Amino acid sequence: MSEPVTLAIPSKGRLKEQVDGYFAKAGVALKQTAGARGYRATVEGHPGIDVMLLSSSEIAAALAGGDVHLGVTGEDLIREAAPELEGRVALLKSLGFGFADVVVAVPKSWIDVSTMADFDDICAAYAQHHKKRLRVATKYTQLTRGFFAHAGISDYRIVPSAGATEGAPTAGTAEAIVDITTTGSTLKANGLKVLDDGVILKSQAQLAMSLAAEWSAAQRTAAASFLAPLGVSLSE
Amino acid sequence: MPDFPTYGPEEIEALDGVAGAVLGVFKAHGYVRHEPAILQKAQIFVDRSGEEIRRRTYELSDPSGRELCLRPDLTIPTCKWQVESGGAYPARLCYHGPAFRHQPGAGQFWQAGAELLGLGDRAAGDAEMLALAVEAVRAGGVEDFSMIVGDLGLFATLVDALEVPAQWRGRLKRHFWRSGYFEALLARMVAGEANDAQRAADTLHGLKLMDLKPAIEALIDKEGEAPLGGRTRDEIVERLTIQASDGTAPRLSPEVAELITSFLKVSGPGEEALETIRTLTKPVAARMVKPLAAMAERLRSLKALGIPPEKVRFVAHFGRSLEYYTGFVFELWTRAGEVAGGGRYDTLLESLGAPRGTTAIGCAIRTQRLLTARAI
Repeated sequence: MSEPVTLAIPSKGRLKEQVDGYFAKAGVALKQTAGARGYRATVEGHPGIDVMLLSSSEIAAALAGGDVHLGVTGEDLIREAAPELEGRVALLKSLGFGFADVVVAVPKSWIDVSTMADFDDICAAYAQHHKKRLRVATKYTQLTRGFFAHAGISDYRIVPSAGATEGAPTAGTAEAIVDITTTGSTLKANGLKVLDDGVILKSQAQLAMSLAAEWSAAQRTAAASFLAPLGVSLSE
Repeated sequence: MPDFPTYGPEEIEALDGVAGAVLGVFKAHGYVRHEPAILQKAQIFVDRSGEEIRRRTYELSDPSGRELCLRPDLTIPTCKWQVESGGAYPARLCYHGPAFRHQPGAGQFWQAGAELLGLGDRAAGDAEMLALAVEAVRAGGVEDFSMIVGDLGLFATLVDALEVPAQWRGRLKRHFWRSGYFEALLARMVAGEANDAQRAADTLHGLKLMDLKPAIEALIDKEGEAPLGGRTRDEIVERLTIQASDGTAPRLSPEVAELITSFLKVSGPGEEALETIRTLTKPVAARMVKPLAAMAERLRSLKALGIPPEKVRFVAHFGRSLEYYTGFVFELWTRAGEVAGGGRYDTLLESLGAPRGTTAIGCAIRTQRLLTARAI
């Protein structure tokens, strides 16, 4: 038997439940091995598929790095790990859950700012007034850089944020943020508003294929037969 | 050239030879050599370089977590040293050493440079730096080169002279070198913008100047306990005051947009290009006389240096993406690529703590590239 195809799925949280539900509905039965707390699983009827349970961001990094063949995780995390995908990852199927927007948000009290063009003016004025760059807190460094460059904005500085990004402007550690939002209520509660044209990405859970991983003919066959009941085919 | 080259005895000797010749020219003109550290604090570059340089800077952190970088250029640390050492102005400083940028091929390259800091007479400074760069390249063994010249101040003057809503002048000046983006920006300005912030400005239109500030502050207060980030209320008041003075639904007239577009397309042999610009900008001729005369003067000094006029190209949109440039910019090109470049950056020293209005102009010579150019 040749090397197995590795499939990475979320190990915890709401996304794990939704992914389990998605596979169950399609009649794909995952069986966790090595005890209930195991981080491996097998797929009934598909011995060539080796399932790994990882955190969502690890899955994105593993897809980009070619450490797994297939993976299910948020598109936001995939695009952060592999900007523009760059031929490293192929998105095979949008799964219809895990919806979230990656957005640029600024303090509501900035009544003179509602577009990226306004934000650009503010960044330049801030650099001039304060002799330093306006700070943007985010865990989406790559997405932010790409989007800001596209909007022609350069007078800013990214402050990497590990969590509770929405509190950064109140805490005084940043002026604006790039973060994920589903209903916008957390942003509102923190006195922030999303810019009119500040939606960087409308994200949802994706079944993705790593193009950086090594794919043998046998692995392609095994993966194709596993994906067929899901109505998904491999990328060329 | 491999990505991680080791220089053999001949190469090192050749490089030392070129560097010695270039530094010799600098020294003969009164420039004093000094050498900033290769390893620098990242912050100073992050806060002052353009995005092009930042994207290409090698950043690292030391074991205690301080953010450091390998110097992507020597201008910023040189200026910082001048400001912090409290040296007298005008100062003439020069250097030669490796710089580091993420780019195809080797990330390490060698450059020499000279900086003329705090000379009040800008025309004299421009002429001195041009002559210095030309002489240094020639001393490095390269006689056959062409030049590109431009002036960021020319476009800034034009935008200030034309009928442009005050709130948009900064946008035009900041983005004129971004092709594609800039055209879209102009089109949006001609079409006019309608959004919440503009509506906020519209509600203020017609208020007397003395009533504006309390009206704006009331609007800010309406947002409740929202944070301000590091922005002050006065900054918001100031920006909305400018917007309110532009009237409701500001637009750029198609004629002005057309003039700006035509101006930025001008590119050609120096004197011809300037003549085209004179014709184009006739409606605002009075404002353009001085900066155009300054550019003509630079062209004359290049002729006096023995550079054939047909080898000097004026390019109106030439701005260099190193954002600290503010005025005259130039590059020297050979078949091996750019061998030298420089320009005026009159705001950098002030941002580092020097007295307001401290001028600066400098040039960098790619010594390694000179060797390649000589070999072709």
